[in-house]
Amino acid sequence: MQKGLIQVTDSYERIVHWMLAISCLCLCVTGLGMMFQSFNFLGIIVGGLKNLKLIHNFTGLIFAASLILAIRMWWKEAGVFVFPEDLDWIKTAGGYLWHVDKVPETGKYNPGQKLFFLTVAGCGVLMLITGLIMWFPEALPISLVRWMYPLHALGFVVIFAFFFVHLYLGTIGNPGTVPAMITGWMDRAVLKKQHPGWLKEMEHNGTLIVSGEEKKTSHHA
Amino acid sequence: MTEKIKLYDDSKCTACRGCQLACKQWNALKSSQTENRGTYQNPPSLAPNTFMLIHFQDYVDDKGNIKWLFRKEACMHCTDAACVTVCPSGALYYNKETKTVGLDHGKCIGCKECVAACPFEIPRYESRTDKVYKCDMCESRITNNLEPACVKACPTGALKWGLKENILKTASKRAKDLGGDAATYGDKYVGGTHFMYVLKEKPAIYANIHKDPSIPWSVTIWKGWLKPLSLLAAGGVLGGAFFHYMIHGPKTPDAPNDGNDAGTTEGGK
Repeated sequence: MQKGLIQVTDSYERIVHWMLAISCLCLCVTGLGMMFQSFNFLGIIVGGLKNLKLIHNFTGLIFAASLILAIRMWWKEAGVFVFPEDLDWIKTAGGYLWHVDKVPETGKYNPGQKLFFLTVAGCGVLMLITGLIMWFPEALPISLVRWMYPLHALGFVVIFAFFFVHLYLGTIGNPGTVPAMITGWMDRAVLKKQHPGWLKEMEHNGTLIVSGEEKKTSHHA
Repeated sequence: MTEKIKLYDDSKCTACRGCQLACKQWNALKSSQTENRGTYQNPPSLAPNTFMLIHFQDYVDDKGNIKWLFRKEACMHCTDAACVTVCPSGALYYNKETKTVGLDHGKCIGCKECVAACPFEIPRYESRTDKVYKCDMCESRITNNLEPACVKACPTGALKWGLKENILKTASKRAKDLGGDAATYGDKYVGGTHFMYVLKEKPAIYANIHKDPSIPWSVTIWKGWLKPLSLLAAGGVLGGAFFHYMIHGPKTPDAPNDGNDAGTTEGGK
C-alpha cells in the first residue's frame, strides 16, 4: 500500500455502509417498478411484478437491520450538532455554494454530512414503519392505513433525491473521497481539505493511523 | 359509446338473495361455513369469495315504526376509481366499452393498495392466493351482450342493467314516483358510479352505507403530487449537481506546499 495514507473508516463501518446503500438502492429500483406502471418492466427481470413485491418487502428487512446498525454506529459522530463550529460551517454552506476563503473547521462529520445522516435515519425509520404497515394493513384501521402510502411516497421523494446528492458529493463533487468507503484509507491532502478539524483532533489524541508508519503512541496516555 | 350502469331499487327488492347465489355460481365462488347470528344477512360481510351481499336491517324511524331495509353491497364501479389510480400493476382497469372496473387476477400482485384506497371499502384480500377480489360486473358476460348474473337472476326487477342515460332517467323517475325521502345514490359521487341505487328511505339511514364517498385525500397526495415529485426532485438534483460541477467546481485538495503536511496529492486547483 501507498505510504502516508490515513485510515478513516474500519471494515465494520464500510460493511454497514454498503449493506445500507445496496439494500436502499434495491428498494428504490423495485419500488419504482411498482410506483410507475411505465417501470413495470423491471418486474420481468425477476419473473413478474409479484416477485418484485416480494424482493422489495424482504429487502426492506435487510435495510431495517442495516439502518439500525448504521444509526447505532454513527449517531454520536453524525447525529448531534456541535455548536458554535457547526453553525459557522452552515453560514458558509461549507464552501459548496459560493466562494469562501476559509471554511470553518468542524469535527469528524461536517453539518452537511450530519444533515444527510439525520435525513436518511429519519426517512429510513419512516419508510420502515409505513412499509411494515403497508405489508400488513389488516392490523390497523383503514383510515390510518390510507396515510401510510403518501408518507411512504414522501420518504421516497426525499431519499431518492438525497441519493443523487450523496452520489455527487461522494464522488466527483469531492475528488479523493471515494476510497474512504472502499479501502478506508484516504489521502492526507484530501482529508486536510475535507476534515481539517478531525485531522487535528486525531493528531492531538494520537489516534491517527498512517500507512507505513508505526501507530503513534499518544503522549496523553 | 356504450357506457352502462347497474341499478338496484330497494323498494322492489324482496331480499330473496337470488343475486347472491347467481354471483357465486357465475364466478365459481365457494361458499363458507357461517353461523346463525340472528339475521338473514349471510354471509356476514363481503369476502374474497363473496363479491356481493344483501344487507338486512331493522330500522326504527322517529315515529317508532319498524322498517325492514335491504341494500345490495358490491363494487360501485366508480368513473373516477381510486383503486385503478393506485393499482401498481394495471390489474384494475376501466372496461373500454362499459366503463365498469375490471380486475385481471393474472396481473394482481396482492399489494393490497386498492383495499386501503377504495372509498366504499370493497376489495377483499385473500392470503392463500395473495390476490384481491371484487365484483367485476361479470365482465365475461357484459362484454358478450349479456346482463350481469345478479341482474339475470333477479325475479322482481329490483336489479336493472342498461345504457347509462336510460338507467339515470329510470332511477330519477323511480325516486320521484316513490316520493318521500326516496333518493338515488351513487350517481353524484366519484364521477358517477356504474352501480347505483334507488333507495326508498334517506340514504344516510342505511347501515354501513358510505355517506359522502370521495377519492381519499391520501390517494390524491400520494399519486397526484408525490409520485411525479419523486422523479422531478431526483431530476432536479441531477441537474443541480451538473451545474454545480460546471459553475462552482468540485472541492479539490490544496497543493501540498504547507510545511509539515507532506502527503502526496494529485490534481487540485
